[in-house]
Amino acid sequence: MNLLPSPETIAALVKIGLLVGGLMTAAAYLVLVERWMAAWVQDRKGPNRVGIPLTKVRLFGLGQPLADGLKIILKEDFTPRHVDKVLYTAAPLVILAASLAIFAAIPFGSVLPPLGIPGLPDPVPFLVAPGLDVGVLWVFALSSIAVYGVLLGGWASNNKYGFLGGLRSSAQLVAYEIPLGLGLLGVVLAAGSLKLDAIMNAQADSGVWYAFAQPLGFVVFLVASFAEAARLPFDLPEAEQELVGGYHTEYSGIKLLLFLVAEFLHMVTAAFLIVIMFLGGWHLWGVTGSAQDITWVQCLIRFGVLSAKILGVILFFMLVRWSWPRFRFDQLMNLAWKVMLPLGLANLVTVAAVEEFRPQLTAALGATGAQVAAVAIPWAVFFLGWIAAGMLTPSGTDNTPIRTSGPLDIEHELVEV
Amino acid sequence: MIVAALPWISPGLLSPGLLLAAAVTAAAASLWLLLPRGAENRLARWLGLALGAVALAGLVATGRRLGGLGEDAVFLVVSLVAVISGAATVVSRSPVYAAIWFALALAGVAGVLLVLGAQFLGVATIVVYAGAILVMFLFVLMLAQPSGMAPYDRVSNEPLLSAVAGAVLLGLLSLFVGRLSAETPACCRVPSRGAALTTTSGQAAAPLPAADAAATTADPLAENHVARLGGELFGRHLLAVEAAGVLLLVALIGSIAIVSRHGDPSGELTAAGRSR
Repeated sequence: MNLLPSPETIAALVKIGLLVGGLMTAAAYLVLVERWMAAWVQDRKGPNRVGIPLTKVRLFGLGQPLADGLKIILKEDFTPRHVDKVLYTAAPLVILAASLAIFAAIPFGSVLPPLGIPGLPDPVPFLVAPGLDVGVLWVFALSSIAVYGVLLGGWASNNKYGFLGGLRSSAQLVAYEIPLGLGLLGVVLAAGSLKLDAIMNAQADSGVWYAFAQPLGFVVFLVASFAEAARLPFDLPEAEQELVGGYHTEYSGIKLLLFLVAEFLHMVTAAFLIVIMFLGGWHLWGVTGSAQDITWVQCLIRFGVLSAKILGVILFFMLVRWSWPRFRFDQLMNLAWKVMLPLGLANLVTVAAVEEFRPQLTAALGATGAQVAAVAIPWAVFFLGWIAAGMLTPSGTDNTPIRTSGPLDIEHELVEV
Repeated sequence: MIVAALPWISPGLLSPGLLLAAAVTAAAASLWLLLPRGAENRLARWLGLALGAVALAGLVATGRRLGGLGEDAVFLVVSLVAVISGAATVVSRSPVYAAIWFALALAGVAGVLLVLGAQFLGVATIVVYAGAILVMFLFVLMLAQPSGMAPYDRVSNEPLLSAVAGAVLLGLLSLFVGRLSAETPACCRVPSRGAALTTTSGQAAAPLPAADAAATTADPLAENHVARLGGELFGRHLLAVEAAGVLLLVALIGSIAIVSRHGDPSGELTAAGRSR
């Protein structure tokens, strides 16, 4: 038996190491960025004191993540007596493992130039599992596993705030998975592949990012990914003013840290997906080119473009957090089921129709005309959908109590039987 | 590895059929001992656990004898996860724990499918079952039990019958699958590990011999897996797909009808929203 790992295994391990290390560091520093952003929005200075330890060098507060991390790790890992110990411990592990495993299918660059290592197929993609043919579905599956962490954390805490947070959160995440999937489907349909790197290549080849070709899908996906990442204005799972801290009320120390890191990773994942699926991935007109055989310089430029785009989307997430108030729960559900779901379906139908009749369009209008029409029709649908959503859907802002003879009556019937 | 050494301890003494029968009997006895009956019995539990371990070892040994089980450590791990958590699902005392074990069993099954190269099926299992249906289960379980568990949550009905029925089913299936895998014609044999994950092997990228090319084009597990699957589904099985779609639509409309009947007939909810 050959005990030495194959070059492919080594390549995958290197990629995993780079990705996990990069993500963890990024999560720590994104917390700092978020605090800076909060300070900027609220017109104060924010964390700017901690620099190099044991010296007086401040470095604009860049030592803050290290100090924060040390503090939260060294805190007492307190487990209350009333909790379900096994699930209480498992919940943060589940959520973090799921949110890290998502990145097996997410490309974090284009491809490396040919290395010429025997046994390693060239070019090497920036992707842990390049053989996975169902990348989008993998991401979808593991983000639905993350619900377990939230739900179990809330339930195992045996605390009413935690429990309410867990229930709210699971309802929200399950509801918004549907518009998220509908947004994804349009892109998958247009690109003809479930591989995320193939989706990026399709955008680079045509030069039309799917955010321009499918504006409605982009908006639906953006809103749904805000909700899936539980960011404001969708942060009901841990609404501080109502639920203390939601599903992680009872957690402290390293377990709380795992929850918080997983939450940040959800935001990073959402940013990755938005950039890869709708904003062209590593592609930028006139800078990166679209061919697969590339030089080292181009490889680095592509990596830089992708990272810059992702950082931009994350900054947008943070800006939104400090600009919008939180939704009420019924408004949240109305938005998911009565606005986002029909809009997502409209987008899907439009994209399917455009893709189906593209040969006829090309025959009638020529290649350029067909391309213009393929962009113009979805934009027309976008504005129509926008107007229809504004006029027809319930805004749900009146505060009269809603009376239904709902679950309570069923419970009474059960008791009498 | 203990499991790997097992079948060689007594070579020739036990035929595969006998081994399988013993393992299945042990599994049935273990399940019968472990199934919840209300009153706690520590001795029965330990005995059940020990018997369960014996049954697992026997099943693994039988699998090796029948030739269906490869050397693949990953396959062994995920299938053991699936089997153990499947058993734990039925014997656990708390419904919430049962649901969690069930989720783990599904994850194990998805792992088996991924190892075998059926990527779409594996991921779809997680999306549909673990991600959607089981979350709903958990949701209901957690909401429905504010005042502790009801007696019917803690006791299993007919533990003996269910254990025996399960064991018989397991034995028959193992025999059948074992015979099938022993007799598979060469044309239909698929590589046990596809190019699913590059971490498993470097040989996945090796070029196929020309003789296998015909088999590869017919094999939905080869390159461009999802496209082939889609072509197959919407080509040969179009009618079944359409029928399933209509069935789901009917179920959807039915559920909406039920919900709206329970709600206020005057439709105050929508009226309140529309009034603006």
